[in-house]
Amino acid sequence: MNEQVVWRMLAEVQDPELPVSLVDMGLIYGVRVKGSVVEVDLTFTSTGCPCTAWIKEDICRHLKQHPAISDVRLHTVWDPPWTVARLTDKARKALVEMGVAVD
Amino acid sequence: MIETPEQLSEEYRQELIRTLTMTVDTELLGAALHYHNLYTDNVPAEHVAGLLALSQDELGHAAIACRLLEDLGVDTDAMIYTRPPERFKHPYAMDIICESFTESALTAFLYDRAGYKLLGDVYRTTSYAPWKRALAKIDREERFHIRFGERAVRILCETEEGKAEVQRTLDWMFPITMEFFGLPDHLKTHDRQIEYRIKSKTNDQLRQEWLAEAVPGLEKLGLKVPAHYDEALGEYVLDFPFPCKFYPEEKRWDFSQPTTWDEVLSRWKGKGPGNRRLVETIQSGRLQLQAMAGGEP
Repeated sequence: MNEQVVWRMLAEVQDPELPVSLVDMGLIYGVRVKGSVVEVDLTFTSTGCPCTAWIKEDICRHLKQHPAISDVRLHTVWDPPWTVARLTDKARKALVEMGVAVD
Repeated sequence: MIETPEQLSEEYRQELIRTLTMTVDTELLGAALHYHNLYTDNVPAEHVAGLLALSQDELGHAAIACRLLEDLGVDTDAMIYTRPPERFKHPYAMDIICESFTESALTAFLYDRAGYKLLGDVYRTTSYAPWKRALAKIDREERFHIRFGERAVRILCETEEGKAEVQRTLDWMFPITMEFFGLPDHLKTHDRQIEYRIKSKTNDQLRQEWLAEAVPGLEKLGLKVPAHYDEALGEYVLDFPFPCKFYPEEKRWDFSQPTTWDEVLSRWKGKGPGNRRLVETIQSGRLQLQAMAGGEP
């Protein structure tokens, strides 16, 4: 188990509202692997995000599918805050296509 | 593809106005359906923000369709604020107010999926380019609503008590969702919207697509679903008479009483029990503001 595997798996978890992965949304701030325990630092697009519990559940459920991961610990980070600058080009393109302003 | 209102024939324009009006009405009522629930203790705190986000999306979809209607010469302000409730055009199910979180969750699971199927067909095939572009956002957001419903129903089914309530609610909401798609094809000999390529699939085709998604999704949660896949026919078959007698005030079907489509059409025309209250919910903010301003609009 290493950090790249976790990043790759997180790129498979989709944002509940948008056709973009959590990684492309720029919501993941950091990943650490300690034995079979994975720690993820993440943020949300706003403190009033209606999907915080939902996103956390999706991450835990997905990562725990990996046989080498026994536990997932999530740390919510608000500083630095998320801005649209954190979107990858792929996310930007997907959002523009569905009519969401990203500038 | 047709780009501007000037290129439309009068018949096409009328048909487009009809379908966009139904979209506006259905989306507005879709927000109002949850509104009364949101201001009670019915909705668990962790779902309030999600249900609000969903309702806000529905109002946004209505605003998008209104924008297109304005280009077609419709006075949407009068359409929303001065039209009598019974003249709103939306599926009958939208006139039955959600009275529990289970009903709101199943509304997202069942009705939003029906809306997604109907509008998804338009999105993929419509010949009116402005509507197609507008539907890109609506299509994605309806997917979010379906996922919201799936997650909420799954969580409700985690307790025996919750699951029993989901089952009881599904028992009346499942058949009413079948009515969303309209008359069966054999009674609807021609469809102008298909002729003008505003949409492409028939009522029965869309009903089948809905069943192919919703039935396995509900069965996976251990719920009893009144429909099954018939191998020989190669399609889903309903396990209850359709159409059937419905008692809206009790939210109950009498499956021993098959009825005729004429009777159903007259029930639809008479609107559901929440019609007036729901439309007034939509109109009330404007009316209160007018009263405060001394009657000036």
